[in-house]
Amino acid sequence: MENLIGQGRLAIDMIVDPDSFREGVVGTLQLTDEEFGPGAVVGTASLDGAICTIIANDAMTINQKFPVVYAGIIGLEEGYKMALAVYHSIEADRDRAPGEKRALVLIVDTPGNGAGKLEEMAGMNKATGAYQMALAEARKAGHPIVAIVVGRAISGGFLCHGLQADHVLSLSAAFNTMIHVMPLTSIARITRLDIEWLQELAKSNPVFAAGPDFFYRLGGVEELVDSIPAMRDRVIAHIAEVRALKAAGREDQLGPWGRGTLGEVRGGRTVRGRVMQTMNEEFAKVADRYLK
Amino acid sequence: MSSDWETLQNRSFLESNARARAIGLADPGTFTELAGPRCRLSSPHLPLLGEAVEFDDGIVTGVGRHGSRPLFIASQEGRFVGGSVGEVHGAKLVNIVRMAHQAYDRMLAETPELPEERRPAVVISFETGGVRLHEANAGLLAHAELMDQFQDCKGKVPVIGIIGGRVGCFGGMGFVAAATDAIIMSPFGRLGLTGPEVIEEEMGKDEFDASDRALVYRVTGGKHKYIMGDCNLLVEDTIAAFRQGLGKVLAMSYAEIDRLRRIGSLDKVKAQLRTLAALVEIAPRDSRDVWTFAGNPAAETLVDMKLDDFLRTVKRLENAS
Repeated sequence: MENLIGQGRLAIDMIVDPDSFREGVVGTLQLTDEEFGPGAVVGTASLDGAICTIIANDAMTINQKFPVVYAGIIGLEEGYKMALAVYHSIEADRDRAPGEKRALVLIVDTPGNGAGKLEEMAGMNKATGAYQMALAEARKAGHPIVAIVVGRAISGGFLCHGLQADHVLSLSAAFNTMIHVMPLTSIARITRLDIEWLQELAKSNPVFAAGPDFFYRLGGVEELVDSIPAMRDRVIAHIAEVRALKAAGREDQLGPWGRGTLGEVRGGRTVRGRVMQTMNEEFAKVADRYLK
Repeated sequence: MSSDWETLQNRSFLESNARARAIGLADPGTFTELAGPRCRLSSPHLPLLGEAVEFDDGIVTGVGRHGSRPLFIASQEGRFVGGSVGEVHGAKLVNIVRMAHQAYDRMLAETPELPEERRPAVVISFETGGVRLHEANAGLLAHAELMDQFQDCKGKVPVIGIIGGRVGCFGGMGFVAAATDAIIMSPFGRLGLTGPEVIEEEMGKDEFDASDRALVYRVTGGKHKYIMGDCNLLVEDTIAAFRQGLGKVLAMSYAEIDRLRRIGSLDKVKAQLRTLAALVEIAPRDSRDVWTFAGNPAAETLVDMKLDDFLRTVKRLENAS
């Protein structure tokens, strides 16, 4: 097998304990309508013996109600369905101690959010926003969230499903994983910059080039995984690592903020920190005037 | 100073630049810009692509006052690369939100009985197409950081989004705006995820004719978003009107502001799913079908109706706050 593009369901089976995945069930959530957001697969599984919530993409479906939603695209129903799975995970573990909250594993293979007129009329921005807000809430409530890119993680789709995790892993480029906002050809057309020149620049500049290696350098991906069978162990290891950091009160090393710091350490995003520091220093001089 | 501020108030929000909006939204003479143009924190990435820079990277960030509150302000400039989010622009935006909840923590530590009306607030004037393609990856990661910072504000600091600029608020910033506590728009404001041009390009003119400006406004404009409940307040196109709208929200208790949010809890997601199911049922070809469904039989007349009359007569969808 060369890659897992379009194989979200297979990836679930490869990561969780054998035959442990129960689709449509998370805490008191019981989804029975197979036509509801079919591009999003949610459910409960056991991972290394511990209960966890699985949220994945199914690229082999078409949403009959929304013609622009197919091939793993996250549409209105898919976004809200994913959010439901997160809220029900939080609800199910509400009375558990922070260290005992179930992990959420996000298996990522999406080309983006639903792009259509009905989507915009109904407010696609709310569906994808709702899922991200739910993930951020779960993360801060103590749930370890680990995302692994097994196929495509494109632009708003990746923001929606992936980048709110505590840690983000990706199969390496050898497995044809795609992480980008737009392919270079589209960037060239829209910015009216020469494609060959862009390709040359992209070799050394991670800030606009496509691919998991560049996201790694920017701190957008914590770890590249270099074999499909290794995915399971790496996800288990990262859940443990995330749990340990949360227990130690080191949330600042996790999630989007942690990846901001990582981007600086890896030399991919060096001005971000300087900008923030400048603002903080300038504010410190006038803070008394405003906070009295 | 103050007379300059006075003249700003009656100006069109749409026509004003980002700095005028930021100054005008704060109480007179209270705005202090942070990491302003004098710091020359421009994009290090644009010059590599032979593109011009701005010393503020297309966003004005700073602090002002709103009555008894410190007001943390970010205002995007649509005239610079479409208000797009690059590394510097994103860092300024993320940090202004972070500063607000950190200020709250500090104030609370000094004054444990801190009254609600003294809490800091965040206001963001969105005018953006989302990620800046020239530094796309860094811009993308900044979006995720912003959603994270919003979550840190929850229960502490109100975050209010304003949309009234020419570019509207699209791309990833469309869902960032959706994640604020309250949204104030003018009828000229536009909000969405995938811009009409992109939909037309990806799905064809039959799906969305982006050259049909009236259609674009019916689908993404302030009036439709108000009927949907996706914007909480619809105001006239002046800086003063937006400022009054801001005042209206900030006069509420935190619990009331919390109820203005469209998403952000299980109950709100369930409510959105009910609305969505109803929309699927009526299968709208145009926003006018949605307006009729919401209880506006003469939907067509809403388009050109003056704002006062519109607000007096319009029926909103049931879940709309």
